[in-house]
Amino acid sequence: MSEMKKSLGKISISYNAISTIAYQSALESYGVVGLATENIARGISNLFSKTPTSGVIVQYDGDIINIDLYIVVEYGTRIASVTKSVANNVKFNVEKMVGIPVNEVNVHVRGLRVSDTD
Amino acid sequence: MADVQSDPQQVDQVKYEPLYSIDGQSIKHAFYAALVWLRNHQQVINSLNVFPVPDGDTGTNMFLTMQSAYSEIADSEETSAGKIAHQISQGALMGARGNSGVILSQLLRGFARLLDDHSEMDADLLVQAMGESRNTAYKGVVRPVEGTILTVAKDMAKAAEDSRNDSNEIIYLLEKTLKAGEESLKNTPNLLPILKQAGVVDSGGKGLVIILEGMYRYATHQPVEIGEVAVERSPISLDSMQLSQLHDEIEPGQDFEIVVDFKPEGELNLENFYGDLEKIGTSIQVGEGDNMYRMHIHVPTEKKYDPIELVGKYGAVQKVYIENLLEQMKEQENEEDFSNPVEQGQIAVVSVSPGNGISRIFKSLGVSCIVSGGQTMNPSTNDIFQAYKDLPTDKVIILPNNKNIIMAAEASKKLSDKQVEIIPTRNIPQGLSACLRLNPQGDFSEIVAEMNDSLDEVEAGEITTATRSIELNGVNVKEGEVIALLNGDLVSSSKSIVKACSELLKKAKTEEREHVTIFYGSDTTREQVEEITKLINKNYPDHEVEVHEGGQPHYQFILSIE
Repeated sequence: MSEMKKSLGKISISYNAISTIAYQSALESYGVVGLATENIARGISNLFSKTPTSGVIVQYDGDIINIDLYIVVEYGTRIASVTKSVANNVKFNVEKMVGIPVNEVNVHVRGLRVSDTD
Repeated sequence: MADVQSDPQQVDQVKYEPLYSIDGQSIKHAFYAALVWLRNHQQVINSLNVFPVPDGDTGTNMFLTMQSAYSEIADSEETSAGKIAHQISQGALMGARGNSGVILSQLLRGFARLLDDHSEMDADLLVQAMGESRNTAYKGVVRPVEGTILTVAKDMAKAAEDSRNDSNEIIYLLEKTLKAGEESLKNTPNLLPILKQAGVVDSGGKGLVIILEGMYRYATHQPVEIGEVAVERSPISLDSMQLSQLHDEIEPGQDFEIVVDFKPEGELNLENFYGDLEKIGTSIQVGEGDNMYRMHIHVPTEKKYDPIELVGKYGAVQKVYIENLLEQMKEQENEEDFSNPVEQGQIAVVSVSPGNGISRIFKSLGVSCIVSGGQTMNPSTNDIFQAYKDLPTDKVIILPNNKNIIMAAEASKKLSDKQVEIIPTRNIPQGLSACLRLNPQGDFSEIVAEMNDSLDEVEAGEITTATRSIELNGVNVKEGEVIALLNGDLVSSSKSIVKACSELLKKAKTEEREHVTIFYGSDTTREQVEEITKLINKNYPDHEVEVHEGGQPHYQFILSIE
């Protein structure tokens, strides 16, 4: 639970809410074609997660947020740029909507999706 | 946005030799022209960035991506169109920078894949390749955002496909595609609100149009080496300025909104004017029309008069609007809307509520409107009447929720020609209990009867502080003590809230009930709420306990025992 002191009382934001924001903005990032469950051993059928929080791990330790993203990237895109963009995008959206600084966004590329080969 | 596109009439007059097929070297030269044209417009594209989005300098990112792509073919003598396209694609992939760069590399990749190993590219291949570019680019994202470079690429590909039947001449197709791209670019603010707010078109889309324009200029023998195009800003029309919009949030340093109408002395030097404005604030917009200019800016509190002085240097100030956005936000937060829409013929419920928390609960139960009031702030007959007189229905039920307000509610009946019934609720729990019987489509008299019956089904407890010493119902009350009222009757007086509550629950025969709902007041502390919750859990472990913010003044707790 993330908490902020406000003059009117306390506002708490669940990990789940932050994860959902991160999940949605990751999917809007160019080059990201899916989020994967963090544990790939759970099987290939789980590679593309469907619940709006799996593939995202949020940690909160007082006043900053750390986020881990497990993504699947479109084959043929420059992974270095895609991962940088998705990290920026997630950080920007979470900070904008939640108002708590995001310290780290760690992006783990869990796989590539091949739509077309060259 | 800077007007850097060629004058369309001029474009029509350009004479060129028809072109039906191009080879690898021609693609290379056209690509170089696009690179140079993009470099010249880099800053213009950068200036379109909507602060504060990530992926900052779109123009630079796209230029570097193009440059990396060109470096693969710079020394190439390759004449095969397909092979050159593959090299370009490879270079773009390696050097893709930023979001727009990655999308550009995908566009080039799709293009190259379709050309495959064709040595020449004709009109058919060009059109198909643009379609494949679009398809490849869209595959790279799960939720494409429209109003971006993707949309522009899509509209360009469509124009090329649509024009293919008219001609098999490549420059003609390029021209059609370019025009469609420019149109699509102009439309991006209509698809993406953040662009409209900033008064710009999409930067990535602009970059793509510039790239195609560079190629078109090469094909029609127009120069591209014109030196860097300066960022030039032009005012938007007064109508499209977005002033005093409702702000969901205010960024730090945007405390005040200042709008100044002015008439410039002579020609307004826009570049200097924007430059000066950027030093003092954000969300800058300049509008022009009716022989006057309007400037809009957000500035921090300490700079709230700076824009006015600044504008004074450029011309004669005519009107000034200043709004304190921070205060406005606070007001908006306080003025929460607790009403529900009601339609003709439906039953509307008007409820009196002492606090925001309770109002919110009433709203969630379908109450049409709230009249604020309670023990020490009884609303007048007129207050109640005003609340429902304009509702579009003539069936109204009033819940006074306090015995001192029942009279006023009854009196309001005489002012109205609507069918008005008062349910004599004497406290909040009774009001809530009555609300649970509400069915807006139901039969009016049946609902009224059900609501009246519901009043006995709930025990209402109230905890407050005695304002004077008195002896009542055999209870000795000293000023400042905590007193407990059950259904409006004084049942105990004690030194602590916990004791008062404990007595109250006993008197209410809570053990025979199942459900306790606690509404805590505006001055109640968290510790007090926890103490009471603990007490109930300990004494009545089988009861369900719910805690809600009531927000009522004076009463630390209102308890509903069912």
